[in-house]
Amino acid sequence: MMVAEQLIDGRIIEACQQGDRAAFQLLFETYKDKVFSIAVYSNGGDRALADDITQQIFLKLFTAIQQFRGESEFTTWLYRLVVNACMDERRRRRRLLPWGETVAMKKAGERRPQEKQYARLEVAEAVQAAIGELKPKFRLPILLKYIEGLSYEEIATVMGCSKGTVASRLNRGHSQLAKRLAHLNNPAVWGE
Amino acid sequence: MFSTHVTKDISAYCHGELSNEESKQFAEHIISCAKCRARFEEVKLGIKLAEQLPQLSAPDYLWRDLQPLLAQQTTASNSVSWSWQLKAAAAVVLLFLSGLAAFLVYNSRTPEIAATKPSWHVTRLDGAPRIGSEQIANNGQLGVGEWLETDGSSRAQIAVGSIGNVDIDENTRVRLLQTEPTEHRLELARGKMSAHIWAPPRLFFVDTPSAVAADLGCAYTLEVDDHGGSLLRVTSGWVALELKDRESIVPAGAACETRPGIGPGTPYYEDAPSVFREALRKIDFEHDASALTALLDQSRPRDTLTLWHLLARVNGDDRVRVYEKMAALVPPPSSVTREGILQLDQQMLDTWKNELESSWTSGSGKGVPKPIKEAYWKVRSGLSRRLKEMAPK
Repeated sequence: MMVAEQLIDGRIIEACQQGDRAAFQLLFETYKDKVFSIAVYSNGGDRALADDITQQIFLKLFTAIQQFRGESEFTTWLYRLVVNACMDERRRRRRLLPWGETVAMKKAGERRPQEKQYARLEVAEAVQAAIGELKPKFRLPILLKYIEGLSYEEIATVMGCSKGTVASRLNRGHSQLAKRLAHLNNPAVWGE
Repeated sequence: MFSTHVTKDISAYCHGELSNEESKQFAEHIISCAKCRARFEEVKLGIKLAEQLPQLSAPDYLWRDLQPLLAQQTTASNSVSWSWQLKAAAAVVLLFLSGLAAFLVYNSRTPEIAATKPSWHVTRLDGAPRIGSEQIANNGQLGVGEWLETDGSSRAQIAVGSIGNVDIDENTRVRLLQTEPTEHRLELARGKMSAHIWAPPRLFFVDTPSAVAADLGCAYTLEVDDHGGSLLRVTSGWVALELKDRESIVPAGAACETRPGIGPGTPYYEDAPSVFREALRKIDFEHDASALTALLDQSRPRDTLTLWHLLARVNGDDRVRVYEKMAALVPPPSSVTREGILQLDQQMLDTWKNELESSWTSGSGKGVPKPIKEAYWKVRSGLSRRLKEMAPK
């Protein structure tokens, strides 16, 4: 668990439950980047949509925090909200979009050539695009692992599945990333 | 648990989610199973890629836009209505508190993150080893970027995550450079260390002033002198010594020296005649081609380890002489031609190497584990190409 999150202790959560807006802003400031990142990566890089989803998540959190009883870790509880919101959004979009149509991130191959010193940035962009193409069941564990820094146990709790399923999905997600971006397995690309 | 393939556990292994015992069993299986090793390399690349995923910054206007929505919710759930003056006062207070909260969050992050950065456990073996300027009692933690230093009477042992141990001898200075699921890296500035690593190839690296030692699943000692030169002795498995395009593969029972500005010399067996070893040192580090005659005269079948590396490091007539000596000691398979070897054909070099390896492993009593060896050649199939690239034109 990231250290900044340790600031959010029982007292802050209690203050939020009592409607303390300053406490809630502290909560927002602590988690906004992570929540926003997951929203972006889960929605094909659409930042405007990610803005809306992030706001909706915190709005829901503001109300739902009254029901948080401390029976689980706060972060686990929060990320479950995040994952559910992202899945809901995906379901909504699937209803609206024709089959096969997505708002996928710009693919690496469509980008214009960059200077070598930007190699790592290029890699990051290619990874973002490839992440956007993974199925949600493989993408979400990767985001929870690399953006949120959760353990397998925590990811399992957030996603409501077993630790073994998390291990298996991460494995498959990693393999798919490697296959999609096999051309990056080259020291020159990494600026080495 | 690991009697069958371990592909489903690869990510868990890399993320340190397996127990120590499970990690050991995993490593033992993977170095002997080509299928799992291939998947391991694939997943490792996937992890390396996923680690590049940046955390994004939420736009600043999000909180501003969120506030009216929160206010609406508050109003809906609370019928108390404030006057506009009270609202304005509250907004001012809130603005102040917001700034203060953000300031506190920002300023508390850095030191706390620093305090929880990845580290390795260090155990004092003798004397008074130091991490940075702090003397460790019996145990300590070596963080990324920190130096561990021993004096003339102290020794320490580092636990390299769950993949092995490194013993630090007297008068040694090492620094932890990186510890990630896909790469653990130490810097050995001076002194001597002994590593025992039970991990798949190329997870553990040691940087020295004149080369990088890449573990291929093995045990070895590495010494660095005051001039930055180093000496590698492999006791089991294989180690690769690398500097830019120069690379030497050192099996159990063999040694290899390195020099600043030159990189790794040519590997040799330590039981080779002293004349052979002295001649090799002249070729490697004094550019004395005339020493080749003495070296070839003293070569035994297992010294084809040295000769095979030399093929790409000498040219013209000298390469012909090396080839002829090798062919006399261990004749090449029928699919390998003289012309192909002299032109450094990668496939032929590899084919002959496979034939030569049985002579490399005999006579020392220290067999080279075949699976590790195969793993290396599969993973690093570019060696011959690189040797060819560095050959004198």
